[in-house]
Amino acid sequence: MTAILWAFDVVLAVTLVALAAGVLATASLFRSIVLFIVFGLTMSIAWARLDAVDLGLVEAAVGAGLTGALLLNTLGHMRSQAEFTPEPSHGPGGRLALALAAGTAGLAIGAAVWAWPDAFAGLGDRVDTHLAESGAQNPVTAVLLNFRAYDTLLEIGVLVVAVVAVWALSPMRGRVLDADPPGLVLAGFVHLLVPVVVLVAGYLLWMGTDAPGGAFQAGAVLAAAGVLLLITGRVAPPQLQAIVERGAVVLGLVAFLAVGVAVMAGGHAFLELPDAWATTLILLLESLLTISIAIVLVILFAGGRTDAAHPPEDAAP
Amino acid sequence: MARRERTRPVPADAPWIVWTVVLPLLAAPVAFVLGRRGLAPFAAASSLGVAASVAALAWQVAAQGVQRHRLGGWGAPLGIELHADGLSVLMLVMTAVTGVVVSLHAHGTFGLGGHETREPSGRARFWPLWLFLWGGLNAVFLSADLFNLFVSLELVTLSAVALVALAATRVAVAAALQYLLAAMLGSLLYLLGVALVYATEGTLSLDELARGAPHASVAPPALALLTIGLALKTALFPLHFWLPPAHANAPTPVSALLSGLVVKASFYVLWRLWFQAFPGVAPFEASMLLAVLGTGAIVWGSVQALQATRLKSLVAYSTVAQLGYLFLVFPLVGGPGGLAAWQACAVFAVSHAFAKAAFFMAAGNIRLAAGHDRIADLDGIGARLPRSFFAVGLASVALMGLPPSGTFVAKWMMMRAALESGQAWLMVVMLLGGLFSAGYCFRVLARAFTPPTDTPLQPVPGSLDAAALALAVIALATGLFVAPALDLLAIGAPDVAGLGQDGPR
Amino acid sequence: MTLTLWYALTGVALLVVGVYGLVSRVHVLRQIMAVNIVGAGVFLVLVAGAHRRPSGAIDPVPHAMVLTGIVVAVSATAVALAFARRLRADADERTDGAAREDEARAG
Repeated sequence: MTAILWAFDVVLAVTLVALAAGVLATASLFRSIVLFIVFGLTMSIAWARLDAVDLGLVEAAVGAGLTGALLLNTLGHMRSQAEFTPEPSHGPGGRLALALAAGTAGLAIGAAVWAWPDAFAGLGDRVDTHLAESGAQNPVTAVLLNFRAYDTLLEIGVLVVAVVAVWALSPMRGRVLDADPPGLVLAGFVHLLVPVVVLVAGYLLWMGTDAPGGAFQAGAVLAAAGVLLLITGRVAPPQLQAIVERGAVVLGLVAFLAVGVAVMAGGHAFLELPDAWATTLILLLESLLTISIAIVLVILFAGGRTDAAHPPEDAAP
Repeated sequence: MARRERTRPVPADAPWIVWTVVLPLLAAPVAFVLGRRGLAPFAAASSLGVAASVAALAWQVAAQGVQRHRLGGWGAPLGIELHADGLSVLMLVMTAVTGVVVSLHAHGTFGLGGHETREPSGRARFWPLWLFLWGGLNAVFLSADLFNLFVSLELVTLSAVALVALAATRVAVAAALQYLLAAMLGSLLYLLGVALVYATEGTLSLDELARGAPHASVAPPALALLTIGLALKTALFPLHFWLPPAHANAPTPVSALLSGLVVKASFYVLWRLWFQAFPGVAPFEASMLLAVLGTGAIVWGSVQALQATRLKSLVAYSTVAQLGYLFLVFPLVGGPGGLAAWQACAVFAVSHAFAKAAFFMAAGNIRLAAGHDRIADLDGIGARLPRSFFAVGLASVALMGLPPSGTFVAKWMMMRAALESGQAWLMVVMLLGGLFSAGYCFRVLARAFTPPTDTPLQPVPGSLDAAALALAVIALATGLFVAPALDLLAIGAPDVAGLGQDGPR
Repeated sequence: MTLTLWYALTGVALLVVGVYGLVSRVHVLRQIMAVNIVGAGVFLVLVAGAHRRPSGAIDPVPHAMVLTGIVVAVSATAVALAFARRLRADADERTDGAAREDEARAG
């Protein structure tokens, strides 16, 4: 059993490094992106091997799925211009020097990793001690929504900034998606799949406080359904014209801040969830975050607005 | 650490430390939802509100000493803490003063519509991003947690990058993309440093790290990664390649915010790590390497500024050069006079922020009036743009380090520390840098004394000149406020005198 | 060699490959993928280090950090790709002869 697991670890590691090298070395950009998506999926196996199921879910949905789709979508836009060939920007000497430098730095970092103590609890014991007070049974959720909720708050801020940034670049020229009308099979498939996906998202959200899952996983899965609807032309890309759409984007952030400030009125610290309310507040926050995360990810996928369908809302003086 | 024993904030002491972060982060999404409706008054009220919370926190720290807040009610190491000491407050005040004045400039700039940005709606995009940036900067200056600093810096970076792209020209978007990729790599190297630290120390709290003796075989590579990542984000020579195009091609108020404030955020983190979280971990040779790179920055940035063909490029390269001074201080902090060097660095960072932001605004005003900013073609308009060129002159005095600017006092303190610790070569570099900055500032000022021509000029709204002049005057007057700034810096200052075991004695 | 060490070293290898790719490649899509590979390597180091508790359970703090890191990386990647598309759109527009004002403005 151990030998098999070891063989598995060796194969997985070699595959990861080979895929990474392939992404960067393959001449065709399209193949390179496909390898990148495979790389992301392989990463999620590595996460599972390290008992990080929470991460495996996010990596597969967001890391491989959404980033891959975004890359392909962007490549589609670029295709109109030119095909790309591998592009060595340095001479062989420069590349050798660069490889040596990167390799040496890698060895130094590897040596530091080698010196790690074999047994090390980190903050795990403290998390266990206070898990019962956190309002979540899943320790990762407890860290994200309670112990280090402030990190998550700022991270949601980063997501909103990404939307504003993409929005600021509008108007995009041409169509956002170069999608052909879906065939009957795909249309029927989407018809069946979307309700299932929404159910899965709800399950992930509900279970996330106790088992692997949570707002990010649920939001990512929900976003996948949104992207499907978008690709098959069932819904128009969000245009951020309406206050409601912009409101949905910021919903999670504003609710997070509001909860954080509201508890201060009771003499608590910022973001201090009172024990009796912790579970309820975490579920409430996670539900709102799921909505915002899903909408944000769909907007990031669509990547801006189209001029053709809707003129920019403030083109008029 | 039972949960009930946690200290509750006394009601009389409002937690201003929280509000300085929460207010801008709450205002930003509201500004985003508002779109253009009522945005101008809302933005003005938000800016003043954030500035008021910073003033209240500054008063609190001055009166009561270091302020701490246990976010979520969990103390470190399980939770994240906010700390406000003298250095944090000085950085917050730097951000608030620069921010309010630049906001005035931005109000005028983006109100002009298509002049500064090709897009008709720059204003609706500018305010949410700037408020996010402001919240991120305040979060960086208050965070006492290694990983939280990563997230805060990401908030800063991504808003800054998006602000550059607001110019919407091809060069600006290309510069923003390059900036983003460099900053992402910097963040990831920093995060790997955090991973190495956590893997042996088991804590992310800067306080706990400062108290513990770091794992000897892991600490140096970890600190090296943290340093390289932050140096990339601070644009330390030779990792500065992304800065000049981004700062020169951004809309003018954005250039002012980026050159004045954003590069200081990652530098501030570096400063905290070297002298507070990991005191004595870096060998003296490493601090010498930073000083040598700082020297390289001064020489290279100045030479590029002397050769720049565009005014805003000149100002951007001047930032590369001036950032070099901040790194000259590293080998001095451990030596005799180290505390003075440590204080001088903070004073320099603040007065540079004011001077550089003022210079950028004035340069942008000249560009707006002339319709271009090619230095060679600016002859003959100086006399017709007296206010803009006067602002350039005042900001130049501060950049060159002449009295009564804070830069003058800061350089004076640095030079004394250099002499005291027997590193006179650093003094030579500082003097040389002053000459260089005089050289490139006079390239601009000389245009003011050419005979007037009748090239057609665009009118510059009064608020734009007022903003540039106001900040230039503030930059010049910082020297008069060095004494209270030093008093403030003493609150919670690290014991840098005991650091330089390896330094030359 | 422990499981932790093996995967942490794999993470370092990914980092080296990614940094080399980021600096040696010039196409923006490949640079964006290279940064993401660097990120995967860093995340792997973090999570591998969380697998050392004597109790056999994982340390959830690095897991939470990586979850945050992935979301941040996706946000930055999406913005980078939006910039890349915008540059391409502008280039297309220029080939159409529609706008040449940028150069004039950039002076």
